[in-house]
Amino acid sequence: MANFKIKKGFDVKVIGKPKTTVEEYTSQQLFAVYPSEFEGLKPRLKVKAGDTVKRGDVLFENKKNEKMVFRSPCCGSIKAVNLGARRFPVEILIERAAEEKSITFETYTRDSVGQLSREQVVDHLLNSGLWPLIKQRPFNKIADPDADPKAVFINAANSAPFQADFSVVLKGDEEAFQVGINALAKLTAGKVHLCKSVGSDIPDFGNAESHTFAGKHPSGNTSVHINRISPILPGDTVYTITAQDVVLIGKLLTTGELPRTKIIALAGPAVKEEFRQYYKVQIGASLEELLNKSLEGDEVRVINGNVLWGEKVSADTCVPFYGSEFFALEEDRSRHLMGWTMPGLFQYSSHRVNLSSVMGLGHEWKLGTNMHGSHRAMVVTGWMDKYQPLNIMTDFLIRAALAHDTDEMIQLGILETDPEDFALASFVDPHKTDVCGIIKRGLNEIEEEGI
Amino acid sequence: MNALFDFMDKTIAPLFEKGGKFERLYPLFEAGDTFNRTPGDVTPSAPHVRDSIDQKRLMIFVIYALIPCILFGIWNAGNQFNLANNVANATFTTDMLRGATMVLPIIFVSYAVGGIWEVLFALVRRHEINEGFLVTGMLFPLVLPPTLPLWQVAIGISFGIVIGKEIFGGVGFNILNPALTARAFLFFAFPAQISGDKVWVGTAKTAFENSPIFGTVAENIDGVTMATPLAVAAAAEKGSDAVTALGDAGFTLANMTIGNIPGCIGSTSVIAILLGMGFLILTGIASWRVMLSGILGCVAMGWLFNVLPLDNPFAALPFVYHIVMGGFLFGIVFMATDPVSAAATNTGKCIYGFLIGVLTVLIRVANPAYPEGAMLAILFMNVMAPLIDHFVVQGHIKKRTAYARALNNA
Repeated sequence: MANFKIKKGFDVKVIGKPKTTVEEYTSQQLFAVYPSEFEGLKPRLKVKAGDTVKRGDVLFENKKNEKMVFRSPCCGSIKAVNLGARRFPVEILIERAAEEKSITFETYTRDSVGQLSREQVVDHLLNSGLWPLIKQRPFNKIADPDADPKAVFINAANSAPFQADFSVVLKGDEEAFQVGINALAKLTAGKVHLCKSVGSDIPDFGNAESHTFAGKHPSGNTSVHINRISPILPGDTVYTITAQDVVLIGKLLTTGELPRTKIIALAGPAVKEEFRQYYKVQIGASLEELLNKSLEGDEVRVINGNVLWGEKVSADTCVPFYGSEFFALEEDRSRHLMGWTMPGLFQYSSHRVNLSSVMGLGHEWKLGTNMHGSHRAMVVTGWMDKYQPLNIMTDFLIRAALAHDTDEMIQLGILETDPEDFALASFVDPHKTDVCGIIKRGLNEIEEEGI
Repeated sequence: MNALFDFMDKTIAPLFEKGGKFERLYPLFEAGDTFNRTPGDVTPSAPHVRDSIDQKRLMIFVIYALIPCILFGIWNAGNQFNLANNVANATFTTDMLRGATMVLPIIFVSYAVGGIWEVLFALVRRHEINEGFLVTGMLFPLVLPPTLPLWQVAIGISFGIVIGKEIFGGVGFNILNPALTARAFLFFAFPAQISGDKVWVGTAKTAFENSPIFGTVAENIDGVTMATPLAVAAAAEKGSDAVTALGDAGFTLANMTIGNIPGCIGSTSVIAILLGMGFLILTGIASWRVMLSGILGCVAMGWLFNVLPLDNPFAALPFVYHIVMGGFLFGIVFMATDPVSAAATNTGKCIYGFLIGVLTVLIRVANPAYPEGAMLAILFMNVMAPLIDHFVVQGHIKKRTAYARALNNA
C-alpha cells in the first residue's frame, strides 16, 4: 500500500464528461471481432463466411502459438470475413441467431482458483480466448504465457479525458474481480499491484497490493505505475491488465461461460449531452444504433479510447476486445486568419505564447482535431518533458529512435514506456512531430532485434 | 474575404499540390498560404487534439521581443550620426528618419538575400520554408554597425545562412547560431568596417545629406570614427583607472545602460534588451536558465578579476560594467538562447550559459586582440553544447538506472 503523488502532468480541459449512470444497451443482432486489434498477431482463420458458430467457438488462432485461440462472442452465422492489405482478416462479422447454443468451461470459486497451478490458469485462459486481455511490458503486446513476470499490474486508475472510471464499472462485480485477481496472482512469483486513482471509492482486495496515484494526466498510465512501484530493467517482464478485463476473467471463471457484457463510457464534445454516460454493452455487439442517435456534428471522429490515446474507428463499429471508452469529437478543418500573431484567446493551448493558456484553463473547451500548425523540423524546446513524469529525456530518446540506435534507446529508458506516454509530448510540440509514432517504431525495432 | 479564401483553396492551391503545374514551388505556396491562415489539417492519429502553438507563432514572437531593440537602434543610429556630424537643428524626428535610412536598408538586404537562400534550399531540397530564418534575418542586422556597406551585409547573411545553417540540413540541424556565424565571418573578413575596437558612426556622404528633412551637416567631414567602450577599457594604460578612462571618453554606466552611444544597431541599449528579455521569459519562448546563468557567469568572472591582484585596469573594472558594455547582454538574451545551437538539457543550459558569461569576460580582459568576447564565447559554447549534453545525458542514464535498481531491490 502506497500513495504516490505525480507532480508533472497536464489535464486537457475538454467538454463532454460522462455522467456516472449506466444504461443497459443490449439485444443487438450484428457482432464483430477485429483480429487487427491484436497487434503483431498472425491469425489463422478457422471459419469462413456462411459457417454457423456457437457462442464460444474458435474463430481464429495464433499461428505462432496454436494454444492461443480467439472465440466467438455470439451464436450465429458468419456474415462476412473482410480482408485488408495482404489478405489480413480485418473483421469477422457475425449475425446473431435467434436460438443460442454456447460452449461452457469449467467453473471455479474464489477458493478453488487458489488451488490451481500456474499452468492450469494459463491453459484455461488460453483455451477460453481471454488470455490476450493480459499484456506484457516491455512492448505492450499480448503476454507471453511462458514468461516469468516479476509482477502483475492492474490499472484501475483514470486520468485522461475521459477514461472510464473503474468505480462505476466495478459496481456489483466485486466477487468476479476478486476471483480474477486470485487467478492473476497465480501467474507471477511476485506481487499483484492494484493501481487506483486517488479519491476513487474502490475497496482493497485480497491477493493484491493497492496503490493510489494522485496528480494530473498521465498519473493513470500503466507506465507511470510501473515506474513508481517496480521499474522495468532490461530483461524484466511484467504483465499488465486493465481492471475491467480482470472482471471479465473473473466472470469466465465463476460462470463457466464467456463474459457477455462490459461497460463502456461514451464521452466527448460531439456526443449529445444526454448520451454522455456509461453503457452496459454486449462484447462484440454493434454500436451503430447507439452512435447514430448520440452523435452530433457535421463530421465526427469516433475514437476507441480517449482524446489523447486511441484509434479512430468508424461510426458503425462494434464493441472491441480491448478498451472501455469511446470519445467523439468534431473534425476541425477551420483555418484562422494570421494565427501566428493573434492573441490566441480562442484557441486552446498549454503554452504562454497563447493568452488562452493564462485566461482559458479554468473552463472546459469544445476541442476539435485541428493540427493548429504545419510540420517543421524538430527543435529541442524542453517542452516535451514538461509533462512527462517518467524521468525520460524525450528529446534525446526521439533522436536515438530516429537514428535507429537501439542501445541508446534502451539506456534512455524506452523499455519503460509505451507510445501512449508521449501523447502529451505530441500535444505540446510546436513542430508537430509525430512523437508517438517515432517511439512506436523504436520499440518495434528493439523487439525485432532483441534487447 | 471568404470568396477570396475559396478562390485560394479551390483554384490556386491545386496548382501547387502534387500533380499541379507548379508542384516544385509548393514550399513557397505553403509558406504564403499558412502565413495568411493557419493550416486546416486534422490530426492523423493519436493524440487527437493538439496545442494551438506552432513554429510560425514562436518565431514571430521572438521578432516581437526584438522590437524595442530595433526601434531604439534606429533612433540611436540617427542620433549618433547627427551628433558626430554636428548636424544643426537635429530633432527626435530627424534622428529617427536618418536612422531609418541607415538601418532599414540593412534589414531589407538581410531579409531579401537570406530569404532567397532559404527559399532556394527549400525548393531544391523539397522541405518546408522554416520560419527560423525570420529570426536570423533580424538578429544579424542588429549586431552590425549601422554604417556597414550593404554588399557586406549581403555576403555576411549568405555565409550565415548557407554555411552556418543550410549545408547542415537547415533549421534544427545547424551547430552554430547562423546570425552569429554571419557576424563572425564579417568580423574576420572585413575587420576595417566591423572590428570591435572602432565603429564608424557615419559619414556625411550618405544619401539624403543636407536635405531639410534630415537636417544640415555643419562641417562636411569625410568620416568619423569613435572607439567603443570595450576598446577604451582595453586600451586603459597600466596603473590608470578604467572607469576614469571610460568617463573621459564619454561613457558612463548611465549612458551605456540607456544605450545612446555608438555601437551595433540593436545591442547598445540595456533597457531595450531587458524589455525583450522580459517578453521572452514571460511567454516562455527562450530559456531563462541560459540567460540567468550567463549573467551569473559574467558577474562571477568579472568579480574574480576584481579581487585577483592583477596589474590590469580592465581587470579591475567593476563587474557591472561587463554586463552593460558591448554585445554581451544582447548575445546572452537573443543569440545564446537559440534552442538549436544551445545545450538541450536543463542542467546543460545552466553550464552552457554560465561558461558563456565566464568566457566573455575572460576574452575581453585577457585577450586584447578581441575586445568583444561575447560573440566568440557564444560560438565556442555552441560547439561545446553537444559535449555538455553528452555528459548530462550520461549522468541521467546512471541516475535512472540506479533508481530502478534501488526500487527493484527494495
